[in-house]
Amino acid sequence: MTTETNSNLSQQSIKDGKGSEVRSDQRVKRWGMIVDQRRCIGCHSCTVACKSENNVPLGYWRSWVKGIQKGVYPDVGTMFLRRLCNQCDTPPCVQVCPVQATVKRDEDGVIVMYYGKCIGCGMCISACPYDARFFNPIRHTADKCDFCSHRIENGLEPACVEACLSKALIFGDLNDPSSAIFKTLASTPTTVIKPELGTNPKVFYIQADHSLMGRIHFTNDFRQGILEYNRSIPSPNASYWSNDGDR
Amino acid sequence: MYNVPHEIPWKVYIPLYFYFTGLSAGSFILSTLSTVFGIKRFKPMALPSAIISFVLLLLAPACLILDLHQPTRFWHTLVPEYFNPTSALSYGSWLLTLYPIANLIYIYFIFVKNDTVTKVLGTMTVPLAIFVHAYTGFAFALVRARAWWHSALMPGFFLTSALLSGIALLVIVAMIMNRYMKEKLDPELFKSLRLMMIGILLMDLFWTGCFWLTLLVSNADGYVSIMVALHEKLYLWGEIVAGMLIPLAILLIPKTRYSRPWLVLASLLIIGGVFLMRYSVVFIGFEVPLS
Repeated sequence: MTTETNSNLSQQSIKDGKGSEVRSDQRVKRWGMIVDQRRCIGCHSCTVACKSENNVPLGYWRSWVKGIQKGVYPDVGTMFLRRLCNQCDTPPCVQVCPVQATVKRDEDGVIVMYYGKCIGCGMCISACPYDARFFNPIRHTADKCDFCSHRIENGLEPACVEACLSKALIFGDLNDPSSAIFKTLASTPTTVIKPELGTNPKVFYIQADHSLMGRIHFTNDFRQGILEYNRSIPSPNASYWSNDGDR
Repeated sequence: MYNVPHEIPWKVYIPLYFYFTGLSAGSFILSTLSTVFGIKRFKPMALPSAIISFVLLLLAPACLILDLHQPTRFWHTLVPEYFNPTSALSYGSWLLTLYPIANLIYIYFIFVKNDTVTKVLGTMTVPLAIFVHAYTGFAFALVRARAWWHSALMPGFFLTSALLSGIALLVIVAMIMNRYMKEKLDPELFKSLRLMMIGILLMDLFWTGCFWLTLLVSNADGYVSIMVALHEKLYLWGEIVAGMLIPLAILLIPKTRYSRPWLVLASLLIIGGVFLMRYSVVFIGFEVPLS
């Protein structure tokens, strides 16, 4: 019975199209994002837009673009993976926070930080399987991408989506059958990062390369890889601020 | 390759904190051996070990607060409205508040030699002592992101190594008491402390073996974390060899097992090894990149 009414509702809203805005506002929203790696050209506009929109301190990023070069000439490729908070439906960071400073909002499913509550214990940073959290050196609290909550509350798209020049980012309400993200998800094969952890991310990827998806790849020189990884941590302690010209 | 990794959020205070709570819980449980479980030969140790456990309990939360990036907001963990029922740290901060208070009352009743009240209080505080340390194990075990931490063995491993470090510390304290006090301690006391150390060391080695075997056939993350650990000199030579195998050998070899200086050496090695265990649990976990 309930499924019937649900399908009726969704049919109606599809028919109504734009006219059903009032109704879709009454529904509980579930904001999500599709990152279409077929379209991504690796211009880092989203990274820059995010940093300037959210005033992220120098040397820290809420979202970034991972890149890798593969193959041997002439068979080569450059792959990108646009990284941000995955806005999990069962978020490990919310599970471990001792003071409920980070919560999943009931009204739109976005995981937000309450900076005034955060005690800065770092448990959420250790628990995030995507390394999407960091300590903000100015606020002295944990910080993360929140889909630009101040923008989406006012009907705007997140800064990265607006900045993306190749339309690789699709942002929308996963509960709204007339939204572009709903239609794309239904008709295109997508994947999420680390699905085996059961975090149910709301950020989906189209044609993302497996070597960028966050799992460590065991090779004989994995220690070298880890060393290289640690060397590239852009923290103030890691001589980022000194003018060595190393980077 | 281009990527943005984030720095490790924790400093050395965190393993130090685990170490202090472990020592505290271990020595408290030893103190209750005579007061609650009625083993007479531990009687002289009841008060000193309870006092040690209380002092360490003052150090432990201090370490925890020092590591916070907003140290003045530590009281947020004790606001009932902010309590998060799925977070081990939420329970832990309450336990860390209640346990020192219970401990202090317990010490008072040992001090005034009121045995019946001590027994009741001790019985109530033993679970607190166990949970105060087990929760630190759960804080790691409930993190599914990191294969090195996400193991059901973690709370048990933390508890046994807490007991181990508590006993080792108590051997040192008993030696000092024996040296400077008029009435000598019962030699049987050292014998039973030694036997307890052997038993728990074997237990710790068993846990370590379980970790190695399961991680070696685990997913890529687990495999890499155990390989990193085995390449880490501090883990392999510090924790496993110097912190477990050498003390075990000292306590077992007939030539050294009854000698007091060797017993002290073994205890010191164990105390160091347990700290290295906390250290390697925390920082090898961070060694494996997640993004």
